[in-house]
Amino acid sequence: MIESDYTPQKIFIERNSLDFALTKRIIKNTSRVPKEIIDNPHELIEDLKVTRNAIQEGKKYLLLTKQRGEFVKPCPCTPHYIGCNYFIINLELNCPLDCSYCILQHYLSNPLITVHVNLKDLWRELDIFCNKNRKRAFRIGTGELGDSLALDHMTEISKDLISYFRGKRNVYFELKTKTTNIRNVLNQEPADNIVISWSLNSSKMALELERGAPEVEERVYAARRVLEKGFRVGFHFDPLIRYPGWEQDYEELIKMLMKTIEPGRIAWMSLGSLRFPPLLKSIIKKRFPKTKIFYDEFIKGKDGKFRYFKPLRIELYKEIISFIKKNGGSDVPLYFCMESEALWREVMRWVPKGKKEVERSLFLPFE
Amino acid sequence: MKNKYLNLNDIYLKDERFRISYFFSLEKLALSLKKIGLIYPPLVSFRNNHFILVSGWKRVLACSQISLSSIPVFVVEEEDELKTFLIAFYENLATREFSLLDKAEILRKLKEFGEAKRNILEFYMPLLNIPQTLSHLDMFATFSQFEPELKKFIHEKHIPFASLEMLAEFNSSERRLLLPLLLPLGQNKQKEILENLREISLKNDIPAEKVLKSAEILEIVDSEKLSPLQKANKIRLLLKRKRFPHLYSWKEAFDSFLKKACWPEDIAINHSPFFEDEDVTVHFNFKNEKEFKSHLLKLQEVASKKEFSRLFKLFSDD
Repeated sequence: MIESDYTPQKIFIERNSLDFALTKRIIKNTSRVPKEIIDNPHELIEDLKVTRNAIQEGKKYLLLTKQRGEFVKPCPCTPHYIGCNYFIINLELNCPLDCSYCILQHYLSNPLITVHVNLKDLWRELDIFCNKNRKRAFRIGTGELGDSLALDHMTEISKDLISYFRGKRNVYFELKTKTTNIRNVLNQEPADNIVISWSLNSSKMALELERGAPEVEERVYAARRVLEKGFRVGFHFDPLIRYPGWEQDYEELIKMLMKTIEPGRIAWMSLGSLRFPPLLKSIIKKRFPKTKIFYDEFIKGKDGKFRYFKPLRIELYKEIISFIKKNGGSDVPLYFCMESEALWREVMRWVPKGKKEVERSLFLPFE
Repeated sequence: MKNKYLNLNDIYLKDERFRISYFFSLEKLALSLKKIGLIYPPLVSFRNNHFILVSGWKRVLACSQISLSSIPVFVVEEEDELKTFLIAFYENLATREFSLLDKAEILRKLKEFGEAKRNILEFYMPLLNIPQTLSHLDMFATFSQFEPELKKFIHEKHIPFASLEMLAEFNSSERRLLLPLLLPLGQNKQKEILENLREISLKNDIPAEKVLKSAEILEIVDSEKLSPLQKANKIRLLLKRKRFPHLYSWKEAFDSFLKKACWPEDIAINHSPFFEDEDVTVHFNFKNEKEFKSHLLKLQEVASKKEFSRLFKLFSDD
């Protein structure tokens, strides 16, 4: 399956966003979906907020609006832990998938799935950004505040982005997804600096916690199709979760992945254990009362977020890395998302001097 | 509204349909009534052949305490239940702060008297400084159903919203078992007990009641040597250890190291919070060179012991 079955119940279009090419394209691709032109999305957002489950309600609707702030920003990462110097493009907010651990439930004040349609402003901003950073290699992607491909059957933005970044040899552009919505990607000419990546979890966790997302095997097969087309692929084991039987389940996942995907074509893999700000826990308790993953041994980290007690994280990462290496992935560039120096030292046996060194370590195999 | 004098016995206090507050101390008001009398007459209404109180429960109960026989009242002539309740609501709104339980009672009664949910959400909840969400409305409805002895405890201990939310996650027999453990403790420790108990129960699929009736907890509860505060604290620590077994084993290993290395008592040593960093800090005070050197000597002595290297093995798998 290379489609998404997500269709919003209704599309709200802000009046001043009607004339953009992307708006017209989305309208064309969603001819059966009712549309409403609105002057002020804030009223809509406020109405949603009084409902019992604003986050879930918001996923039923698509809002087309203008990005009024900056499209391109450094990934916020988290204080006191080592980042990876990633840049994000805030083109879409929110996601039709409903993962119980998703930080966006806490992070975004607007529960509507939102597409910023003023693409000309994006290209202008990206031109300036790429020109400013032309003398160094950097990574940039769209999958931070939404899923890069979940809406692609309506927006077709992947085509524009791949075309824009193709040929920019110092830029590694990443589309990060949990979906198999790759039809538009497969219709594009590949380029070495375009990385299509998937967030993966054990089948058990994906089934229990990633509502609306395709099964993990389907994601891996989608990755294989993209790889066969000639793109590089990436994988994010994030959030890694401890539960009875996690070792066997993650080993199975990694075995299956490494059997299906040629390790040499994997641009990078990231590892991140489950972490969450205190307020997210109360949101999740209300929205997913049966979820037990938050009752493991979490401590308040230096950034105020809850994360597994350090020895448990070390055990988790060491096992995952040993599974990757055992299954032919010794040369795949690996990095941690938001981890401490102590943990890098303990698990990776080296400590990057900062986020730029993490970034550089990921480019070595390309250079 | 008509002004009238009523014998206190003629006010039917068993009918509490318009009552908002159930817990208050009457001493100061009773003293004031003794000194200057009743200045603001309570509001009553004639329903089912009785005068019933609409507003002024504290005043009437204080009058009764000082054995006043008759008091001035205003008789509310409104027959509609909601409109009559709103008189009580606005009279109270203007003159005092509502507690969380008062707010729960107000929201419950607004609903019972037929106020539309949307009005409650959009109009009354902001007036009561409650976020306008359905989940808050649901939560306050749960608070209003708490057992009377729990409500009394909440009132006396000024229990905050977050702890009430946690209490709402337990059933009434669990709350009864919890109450004696919570009573002697401060708010942070109460919260700790509630949170850890709930999470142990959820993680292991065991009802909280079963955890509270486990042999090790019952042994503490039944102990005749321990005071209520000691019992509560022992159970709090036991729950914490059950909830965070790895963290506690590290803490115990750290403490055991200090003991084995005979760490000097006048020099403080601390690991980083939750052992998240490898750093260990040592702290001592000194008044002069002699004291400073004496501390250094003690540290040198500890460092020369073979147990000392075990400290660093605690933080590493090497």
